[in-house]
Amino acid sequence: MSEPILLQVKDVSVDLVRGGKATPVLRNVSFDLIERQALGIIGESGSGKTVLSRAVIGAIDPPLVFTSGKVIYRGRELIGESRSEIESIRGREIGYIGNNPGSALDPTIPVGHQIVEKLRAVEPGISKAEAQSRTIRMMKAVRLPRPDERFHEFPFQFSGGMMQRALIVDALVTNPTFLIADNVTQPLDVTIAAQIIRLMHELREDFRTAIIFVSSSLAVVREIADDIIVLNNGEIVERSTPAKIISAPSVEYTKQLLSQIPRIWETEEKFVPEDAVRDEKVILRVEDVYKTYRVKDPKQFFGYNDVEAVRGVTFDVHAGENFGIVGESGCGKSTLSRLLSWVEAPERGTIWYEDADLSNMRRRDIIALRRRFQLLLQDPYNALPPHMAVGRTIAEPLIIHGGMKSKEIRDRVRAVMVEVGLSDSLYGDLLVGLSAGQRQRINLARALVLEPQLLILDETLSALDQVEQSRLLETFERLQQEHGFTYIFISHDLAMVRRACTRIAVMYLGKVVELADNHSVFFDPGHPYTRALLSAVPTIEERRYNADECLLEGEPPSPIGIPPGCSFMARCPLAMEHCVQEEPALEARKRGVSACFRANASDQELIDAAYENKELRDRLFGE
Amino acid sequence: MATKDLTAVESTKKRGVSTTRRMFQLAWRMRGFQFGLGTFLVLVLAAIILPEVTDLSATKINVRARFTPPFFMEGGTLAHLAGTDQLGRDLLLRSLIGLRNALGIGVASVFLMFILGCTLGIISGYWGRWVDTILMRVTDAQLSVPLIVLAITILGVTRPSAGTIIAVLVLAGWPIYARVVRSVALAEREREYVRGAKILGASDIRIMLIMIAPNILPPIAFVAVLDVARMMIFEALFGFIGIGIQPPTPTFGNIISDGTKYIINNWWIPTMPGLLLIIALLSINVMGSALERARNKIFAGVI
Amino acid sequence: MAFILTFLLRRIAQGVVVVFLVSFLIFTLLRIIPGDPVRMMLGANVSEVVLEQKAAELGLRDPIYEQYGRYIVEIFQGDFGQSYLLGESGGAAPTAQSKQGGRITEEGERKREESLKTQRAHVIKLIGDGLPYTLQLAGLGLLFTLLVAVPLGIAGGLKPEKWQDKIAFFSSSLFVSLPNFWLALVLILLISTRANLLPAIGYKGFSYTILPAIVLAVELAPIIIRGLSVAIAGNLQQGFVDGGRMRGLPWRQIVWRHIIRNSSIPMLNLFGVQIGGLLLGGVFVTEYIFDYPGVGKLTIQAVLQRDFPIIQGIAILAAGTLVLVNIMVDLIATYIDRRLKY
Repeated sequence: MSEPILLQVKDVSVDLVRGGKATPVLRNVSFDLIERQALGIIGESGSGKTVLSRAVIGAIDPPLVFTSGKVIYRGRELIGESRSEIESIRGREIGYIGNNPGSALDPTIPVGHQIVEKLRAVEPGISKAEAQSRTIRMMKAVRLPRPDERFHEFPFQFSGGMMQRALIVDALVTNPTFLIADNVTQPLDVTIAAQIIRLMHELREDFRTAIIFVSSSLAVVREIADDIIVLNNGEIVERSTPAKIISAPSVEYTKQLLSQIPRIWETEEKFVPEDAVRDEKVILRVEDVYKTYRVKDPKQFFGYNDVEAVRGVTFDVHAGENFGIVGESGCGKSTLSRLLSWVEAPERGTIWYEDADLSNMRRRDIIALRRRFQLLLQDPYNALPPHMAVGRTIAEPLIIHGGMKSKEIRDRVRAVMVEVGLSDSLYGDLLVGLSAGQRQRINLARALVLEPQLLILDETLSALDQVEQSRLLETFERLQQEHGFTYIFISHDLAMVRRACTRIAVMYLGKVVELADNHSVFFDPGHPYTRALLSAVPTIEERRYNADECLLEGEPPSPIGIPPGCSFMARCPLAMEHCVQEEPALEARKRGVSACFRANASDQELIDAAYENKELRDRLFGE
Repeated sequence: MATKDLTAVESTKKRGVSTTRRMFQLAWRMRGFQFGLGTFLVLVLAAIILPEVTDLSATKINVRARFTPPFFMEGGTLAHLAGTDQLGRDLLLRSLIGLRNALGIGVASVFLMFILGCTLGIISGYWGRWVDTILMRVTDAQLSVPLIVLAITILGVTRPSAGTIIAVLVLAGWPIYARVVRSVALAEREREYVRGAKILGASDIRIMLIMIAPNILPPIAFVAVLDVARMMIFEALFGFIGIGIQPPTPTFGNIISDGTKYIINNWWIPTMPGLLLIIALLSINVMGSALERARNKIFAGVI
Repeated sequence: MAFILTFLLRRIAQGVVVVFLVSFLIFTLLRIIPGDPVRMMLGANVSEVVLEQKAAELGLRDPIYEQYGRYIVEIFQGDFGQSYLLGESGGAAPTAQSKQGGRITEEGERKREESLKTQRAHVIKLIGDGLPYTLQLAGLGLLFTLLVAVPLGIAGGLKPEKWQDKIAFFSSSLFVSLPNFWLALVLILLISTRANLLPAIGYKGFSYTILPAIVLAVELAPIIIRGLSVAIAGNLQQGFVDGGRMRGLPWRQIVWRHIIRNSSIPMLNLFGVQIGGLLLGGVFVTEYIFDYPGVGKLTIQAVLQRDFPIIQGIAILAAGTLVLVNIMVDLIATYIDRRLKY
């Protein structure tokens, strides 16, 4: 028994027409979609996958032009239909969710009202009351907390994950035959993205909707798709099931794609014996550091809210280490990086650089100290002044600190450029046209020019693609061998941290919840959050941790008014009474430390605890 | 809270050439801009050269030629293209001299208010705190006083000179520049590279001059151009009411106001000078508007 | 609710400070700049002694702080002072010349002064008389502007680069290049004198408002056209426009329910600052040229004649109006876009 065909894409070609020239974006793309099927489309940026996802609903407008082919939905041709015809199909029978949850809705109207607006626009007969109740019902189904209140809230009051759920409601509220999800998890944190994917899985079952899931990450797509299409340069190069593609790709391009995906579990790791680490001197010591921001409270007369960004962080960084700090949005790592580089001062606690207590020093001394530790910022485009030439940008720190003649400065800049792998000819060029990788190298050169000993890399590699990342990491390594640098990597990218770091600290809601060497963090995590994180990371290897067991629903609590007890408790499969009352401190384990009462529990105890946890039981066995 | 923002990265890909330069480049290509610029240059040249070259006079009385209509009407001659006034003076010539004065005052006042406003704006936006609060209140207060009232109050007393007129205009016009530049400074202050520079130890003055100042032009370049036209209108208005540069120096204001009483039978006397002024203003305004569109396009494309 | 209260309290407090500042500035400015109001009052031939006496009487020789203090106290008692020159009917008060037997005597002067004092008009009455006319003019001018500028602006914004946009662009450039006094002259010539369609000078009926309102409208239109088309064109780029299309909203609905709504925020801002100022400035000149009996004409005359109390009163009125308009605009803006609260 074969399922009826929903969508037929036949030989579709689309061109981009600019200034009289036509560049092909899609070439002869053909595929079918059957009812209730989940089809994944993967491709790198520039492969045409977004254009394809729009072509499928007839949303191709100038400067994009259809040059050939048909898109047939349930027997009707979508290309060439009148605008109002397409509009009525779109939204009602075909749902679309994009990759910009924050800006998909009108910011001045409450979210629920906009969903009702859409519902009534595509299903004219429905009454306001009925539309509202249907919407709220769906909001419950996607597990949006307090749907009756949320209905009247505005887009800016929704976090990214919550908004994506709301947009899923918007797409599914008309019970469409199929859904297009275009890069929906890209802007989200790892655990939130995993939750969304799980949600879409379940909804697909409940609503019998087909899905076209577009993404640039094979690891993400394989979680949800029955079939995967690989797109390269506008052409379909391979189509198969996820298992087959991963184990036996047939085309060279797919093989290449696979080889670039970083391996988390099966990779060579950076291992340094614990004692060796301890023997090196401490280059940076962070002791019980706190940072709270005051934000105006709009609901009160003259009130303020306290945002607790960093709540008591302590750790040491030894010379020669690669120290990693990981966490998702809101964990406090950005604030911590500002504290570490002394852009802002902590309100409690101290930071020592070697033997110098930063809070007791005068501005002038701190500036002098900056020669020894440098901060590298994330955004390669915004971190460099756009109107300065390369050489001048790199020379800036030397100019500011003074004391060198211009010829000396020039020579030093040139030398550093060579060291980081920048071509000498770029010295006088402006930043136009330089790639992200080159820009980061300029950033690096600027930091190195003062001969620092410690470099703090705050999401420095996040904006780069895999290939560039590898290259830059190699450069980091080489420089470390030559100069004996110490690195602190602050990132959300677990794969990168796995490759580059010797010791890793995991942050959650302003605290360090786990700190151990690389191997232990990944293979023997002591904190449930670490486990949840590891279970959510997209990977094409065999999963070591099961998201169903480790990752529960929910988001981190707001940093305003943090309730007592463990802040992970609401989402923890091992939560118990004690966790509500008291916040766990960092407890020593075999290797490393973890802030959990069950840090040293035996495996059997863990299984029992999980069993007791109701939600987990429901998920695994019930409903 | 759980949303990473990569769009900023994507969007600034094309930055590198200064946005100011690109803005001007884009405007240069617009037809409106070219047209406006061309007309403007013709007028300026005429205003500078013609009065020196011709032997007609702008101030000498020539009774025989009084009330000559413009050349396209009956009774008009080519010798007096725009006609003559009640004292036989050539209107075109007088208008061109008026244009000289108007342009001089317009450009000078905008130049000065630009410098004053921008400096205060950068300092206020970058340093913030009490300096900022004071500036905001002062600009608020300033903006509530209509220019006219201020102008008449001050100029209505003494014999107004170019200097005092410019001073009044600068006094009334600087707040806009301060406000706009202040918001640019506020935005730039949060940029990564400014943060980076501060980490490196750059002093505040250095940051203001090198990092922020080059970025302030796009939002106000066109305002400055449009303000030249605006100030020229004010200059003419002042003259009309009687508080501008006094006769016998011809200014648009006093030419038109003198001619008002003759408007019924010799309509061209106050009207033609006005037309010349309008053409000049139109050319400037078209240039300014083109600049504004260029800037909007660049920011829309980038952001 | 708490938000609105905090907001209003804060803004009104700030507004009061601004009004005070402006009033003080004008007050001081008038007294610093040369040009003696007393001389205007008493005529050019009066003796120095009498001049000084009169000035002292009016309190004009006291230190400025004292004068201002007294002024503020009187204001809080509802007394905005009396015009130096205008009589109750609004016309000029009789000049204080008195000759008795060819000589100006002190006693004669004093008697004259007594009678004159009761005859000089109260500032409040003068302003109150003129305000309705000015409001009518401003209202009509705004109406004309909106009728023309809003369609142009919206059409231009929705179709950037097309002919609607070019027309909007050109018309706004044209309007802004027309000096208001010149336009007034030409309109009077063509419409009033030649074609006899509408009356021009003075006021004898509603139709006298139309020509001045047209001049005012031409002055206000460019800003609205430009602001509106920029705001709308900017919103076209926003995520929710494309998002709305993809979700299946009809284009009509996207434009009218969402784009216009989002565009009205910058428009409101524009409205508050620019229009308020322009209206005030433009109204003065237009009334003066058309001899229209509003507050503007009153002000210009007062300034030319150094009639301090009127100028001071108008300054407070103007500043207060602008402050109020700004507060209302901001309040409405936070209602439309809740983000502004935070």
